[in-house]
Amino acid sequence: MDSRRVTVDLDAMSTMDPAAAAMYEAATEVTDTTSGGDANVGADVEVAVDFAHETPEQRRARFERDAMQYVDQLYSAAMRMARNPSDAEDLVQEAYTKAFSAFHQYKPGTNLKAWLYRILTNTYINLYRKRQREPLQSNSDSIEDWQLARAESHTSAGLRSAEAEALDHLPDSDVKSALQSIPEEFRLAVYFADVEGFAYKEISDIMNTPIGTVMSRLHRGRKMLRDLLADYAAERGISAGAEEKALAVGAATSKKQEKRK
Amino acid sequence: MSCQGLGDCDDARMQRIYEYLDGALTREDIAEIKTHLDECPECTEQYDLECVIRTVVKRSCTEAAPENLKNSILDRIHSMNSVDA
Repeated sequence: MDSRRVTVDLDAMSTMDPAAAAMYEAATEVTDTTSGGDANVGADVEVAVDFAHETPEQRRARFERDAMQYVDQLYSAAMRMARNPSDAEDLVQEAYTKAFSAFHQYKPGTNLKAWLYRILTNTYINLYRKRQREPLQSNSDSIEDWQLARAESHTSAGLRSAEAEALDHLPDSDVKSALQSIPEEFRLAVYFADVEGFAYKEISDIMNTPIGTVMSRLHRGRKMLRDLLADYAAERGISAGAEEKALAVGAATSKKQEKRK
Repeated sequence: MSCQGLGDCDDARMQRIYEYLDGALTREDIAEIKTHLDECPECTEQYDLECVIRTVVKRSCTEAAPENLKNSILDRIHSMNSVDA
């Protein structure tokens, strides 16, 4: 039931005009569902201000003061969605434009950061992915295949402690591409939780997905990430087991022998 | 099979560790897991690894937006009229 609901939502959104869809989203759901648990949003606690009667200028000033501080963070998130810096920039700019247009619907005192992330995510789904002409629904089949493949090649219980050290020394590029190769809905859930520190409920609001789905995406996504990172560490030889070394030596030897023939 | 102190299979154990790190548990659960981690090197190893992964991902994925992005957003906002309800 969970995953079906997501599919319907995504499909419905994709048939709407992207801008209208984002506006609709922002208007109907974001303000109602975000929780106010984020300590970073302290600036919004000025309940004394009469938001209903503020002038457009005041609202703009409030937006600049409260929302603009998240540009770097939204850009980092956009980099996990889009494939390159230029698209990520477009995405952030578009999201901010939408957020500003809908800012009168944002409920002061609720979690502004989560609200912005929600708009960013919707903007990505509605605008950017459509442009890419990627299928909206995640390819569950290939995920299953991928997982099967992993399950077969990883029979051991997991990483050894020495590999914690190895993982810690992985270059940023490896970590980024490991994260990037995880299917999108898993990648974003992991990113929102592990990098941004959003709670399950907040991620469920941002991704418009039931909490149970968030938790299972996190579980599977983290597992995939862990396996991939272990692979990268092994490739770099940081933690290559004796077997792999023996194989490498064996391969080199047989090549030499072939040359001799 | 490995230690079952946090769950009866590896998946269950990792789920507990995730929830623990995610701050999604009750005080009692947290105390219980803490106590277990104190005495179980095997589960602690898994816990440590998860911590390292989060640190590494955080470190690698934190990027500064290009200089001009903030300004172009502000320019765009200033050219717009804020929509009234």
